[in-house]
Amino acid sequence: MKKEKKHKKPKSMAYRNAVTGYLFTLPFIIGFIMFLLVPMFQSLRMAFSDVVFQDGITYDFIGLDNFKYAFTVDPDFYPNMIAELIQMAYSVPSIIIFSFFIAIVLNQQFKGRGLVRAIFFLPVILSSGVLVGLETNNSLMAGLKDVIAETSNLTSITDTVKKMILPEGVTIGPIMYVFDAVDQVYDIAIASGIQIIIFLSGLQTISPSMFEAAKIEGATAWETFWKITFPMISSLILVNVIYSIIDFFLKTDNEVMDLIKQTMVSKVEYGLSSAMAWTYFAVVAVIIGVVSAIISKKVYYYE
Amino acid sequence: MKLLKKRKPNRSRAGDFAVYIVLALFGWFFVLPLIFAINASLKPLDEIFLFPPRLWVQKPTFDNFADLFVLMGKTWVPFSRYIFNTVFITVVGTLGHIWIASMAAYVLSKYRFPGSRAFFAIVVTALMFAPQVLNIPLYLVMTKLGWVDNVLAIIVPAFAMPMGLFLMKQFMEQIPDVLIEAAKVDGAKEARIYFQIIMPLVKPASLTLAIFSIIRLWNERASNFIYAEELKTLPYALQQIISGGSIARAGVGAAVSMFIMVFPLLFFIFAQSNVIETMASSGIKE
Repeated sequence: MKKEKKHKKPKSMAYRNAVTGYLFTLPFIIGFIMFLLVPMFQSLRMAFSDVVFQDGITYDFIGLDNFKYAFTVDPDFYPNMIAELIQMAYSVPSIIIFSFFIAIVLNQQFKGRGLVRAIFFLPVILSSGVLVGLETNNSLMAGLKDVIAETSNLTSITDTVKKMILPEGVTIGPIMYVFDAVDQVYDIAIASGIQIIIFLSGLQTISPSMFEAAKIEGATAWETFWKITFPMISSLILVNVIYSIIDFFLKTDNEVMDLIKQTMVSKVEYGLSSAMAWTYFAVVAVIIGVVSAIISKKVYYYE
Repeated sequence: MKLLKKRKPNRSRAGDFAVYIVLALFGWFFVLPLIFAINASLKPLDEIFLFPPRLWVQKPTFDNFADLFVLMGKTWVPFSRYIFNTVFITVVGTLGHIWIASMAAYVLSKYRFPGSRAFFAIVVTALMFAPQVLNIPLYLVMTKLGWVDNVLAIIVPAFAMPMGLFLMKQFMEQIPDVLIEAAKVDGAKEARIYFQIIMPLVKPASLTLAIFSIIRLWNERASNFIYAEELKTLPYALQQIISGGSIARAGVGAAVSMFIMVFPLLFFIFAQSNVIETMASSGIKE
């Protein structure tokens, strides 16, 4: 031992941690910088320029003109963004509650569980560009929507219930929220696939011995849920909230995303389209920052 | 584990029934698009354009698939080439992604080193950026690297997908530090801890990442960076087949969506049963 110490000083814990840390993250960092950060900053440059495609690309710096145009002149950008934000405020909580509920049900023991789990993951496979992506196939998607409206007929059910419960013209905030959420049940269900999987894999990592202990101590199912299941999975609630918000904003059928794409593809306004994308990005980033700051205070980390 | 498998004594028959009702109701929503797609692919042309559209096929036929296979035989390069390209991109891209993302996620969740928090924050922020806008700048990067018309242009960026790192890190935070400390005390080096302790424990998470990555790469049309016909991918070739013809190809289109859906679906069913098994045997316990 003494001899070794003479040869070289043992490295400090922090130093060794840093070396391991950088070695393990290096491949990811390189890829991330090359294929995401560099293109992002190039598009930031486009946002402040008039981009002309002639003998290569020329950027003329025009300051904030693109941003001014997006907010003051473009008829769709600002209203669409507000509309999507309001829509998000409804969708995301509903998605979280729905997927949490389904994940708990799917974590129970019952016959045909594997099949049912597979079914609940279908929308992720179906909606992720397979059907939507084949753009020439749009008549098929349109047909699908009609069929869904016809078979599920949810709108009319909620309308009837609404009329039964509420007198005409009366609107009570929280109740309306429930009705609006139910109206969109199909959209919510379809958007919950990944969230269900995340919750489910989280539920499966909770050690059975905890439930065992709780049971021996005489806890009821209700207490077990709030004292064990819920805290143990709270970190995944944060994950899912962030995922759902991002997923909502970046979906291809989001109006703002569509506008950004149209500005780029049909109008060939790369500067304006980049400016819109960066504005949108800033808004989404602020929302996620605020939401995750609030939730992460409540998250329980098991040590 | 046995305890959980036993029927919970405090759940009544009515409770069981309620669970089935709820699952049947929502399951129907989830399975509806698939039923529609299957039926559409079996419909003869006159039924596809029927208005209002019907969910169930009246006179099922395999004509759409037969047409599809005939058209596949007429492509410039042998059709198997497109299939090979897509399979290659998907397999290499997914394995590389899981490896690189989980390695980074491991140190980010279990080590503190200068810049680690900042880096993770940047990754999460980058998740929110609209990817469509990056097409042109990304093309410029690929030109500089000389990767246009090279599968690397598709595979390598797939390695560093931020969503994978984010999910993986969150899963790894749930692994008790005690396990890693115990391994260190027993003399294991970082690489060994990563391969023999961490990776087996996060197998469900890796399969989740794999599903993500497979869906993305399997549907990759690669039309931005790949121009050589022999390097083009399956979705691209299939789309050419559909859009190449008149409206009469709508039936073939329905068959195409079935054709391309099958692989991710099979993988999910496989992964799903695997996740349950690993969880039952690994059982992270204190």
